Amino acid sequence: MSYTPLPPVPEEYKVLSMMHNIGAVTPERSLTPDELAMWTGIDVSTVRDCLERLKELGYVEHIEVSGAEKYIVTKVGIMKVLTLYS
Amino acid sequence: MITWEYPPRVVGGIARHCEGLAKALVSQGHDVHVFTLDFPGTPDYEESGGIRIYRTRSEVGHPNFLTWVLLFNHFIEKRLADVSRLADFDVLHVHDWLTAAAGISFKHFSKKPLVFTAHSTEHGRSGLHIPDSFTIDGFEWWSTFEANKVIVTSGAMKGEVCGHFHIPDNKVEIIPNGIDPSKYDGSVDKGAVRARYGIQPHEKMILCVGRLVPQKGIEYLIHAVPILARRRPETKFIIVGDGWFRDHLEWVANTTGHRWRITFTGFISDWDLMAVTKSADVLVVPSIYEPFGIVALEGMAAGVPVVASQVGGLTEFVEHDRTGVLTYPRNPESIAWGIDHVLSNLGHAEWLVKNAREVVQKAYSWEAIAKKTGKVYKEVAGRKEQT
Repeated sequence: MSYTPLPPVPEEYKVLSMMHNIGAVTPERSLTPDELAMWTGIDVSTVRDCLERLKELGYVEHIEVSGAEKYIVTKVGIMKVLTLYS
Repeated sequence: MITWEYPPRVVGGIARHCEGLAKALVSQGHDVHVFTLDFPGTPDYEESGGIRIYRTRSEVGHPNFLTWVLLFNHFIEKRLADVSRLADFDVLHVHDWLTAAAGISFKHFSKKPLVFTAHSTEHGRSGLHIPDSFTIDGFEWWSTFEANKVIVTSGAMKGEVCGHFHIPDNKVEIIPNGIDPSKYDGSVDKGAVRARYGIQPHEKMILCVGRLVPQKGIEYLIHAVPILARRRPETKFIIVGDGWFRDHLEWVANTTGHRWRITFTGFISDWDLMAVTKSADVLVVPSIYEPFGIVALEGMAAGVPVVASQVGGLTEFVEHDRTGVLTYPRNPESIAWGIDHVLSNLGHAEWLVKNAREVVQKAYSWEAIAKKTGKVYKEVAGRKEQT
């Protein structure tokens, strides 16, 4: 029986893990898509696509801080990230 | 005790291990302080069952994984230094490489002995294929080098750690993982639990629990589904857990032609995990790398027949056809055979369960594990600090 080679870690999980490592797990450290793009070096449209997918999966949450669109990693998102590291 | 995961921050077995060990150490009269990372909704300090838990927030973050690790170690080290003004620790116990930098620094600062538990190695987990893995491997070597004593959870891990890091045999102590069998004592409405996961009364529920990562071998279990279904069309598979590999595993499940038999639950609560484990007909642990395999031990305590890969620490408590069934790793045919073997003879399965429970109660209670760990603490605390 042949098996497919291991897939790379999906792009959205890379964004999720970077958000987590930056510390965007509480509202006061939440990040805008632009800030995330700057931190991660990923273009902002890709970041937005990833955030949409992560939001659907329940791994990030969209919040508004002073009228700005910001994102934080949820508890389930933190658990997901930690599986990448162990 | 210094650990990157501690409940409710639970990733794999380390959080459960640290919690079980800490509780049992406290019950044996030790004063236990746990230093760990924060988790949303938890206080930065609490006392729980006599355990003092310090959750530290990393005030600075960084997208790079290893930089983040060094940063949180820095903040844990600061917290250790603060608390040490009021508490005089006798021994530092670090669990895995992730918090080793803080532990090693604090060892030199405090002149206290260091115990390091190597729960697994990067070499075993994923091989050394990328630069980050070499760095992690280096951290793991450094931890074993600096430790006054290294604890591993199985003979297989001892061989791996001594061989790979070239450390002397007498520096490494085998102390297995423990579990609390009493958590399975309560009654559960198995029919209701099974119904919740779509299992009809005449169907067999095959359970697999673990992080959805390649080393857990779940891909091979999924490939075993159509093989087993030919012999046993009444089987359904429940896969509990989550991880970065989940999308791939769901894709593999879609290719089997039996997707409807397979349910991925994602993360579930502790109570649900206990209930679903007690309600299963077979627990499968298809790992390709497993330093210990606490999931199998949980299944044995819960009274479920266990079918496990013949790898690592699993072979040290799953005795083939006496306390469970061992199958070849990376081999769907063998996994299907193992499940079928259990389902084919329910009297034999009950005998396996009875033997397994006896083994769990005799050798894997937290009380026994804490006693062994306490002996290690005593031994290193009695020595003059080596720097």
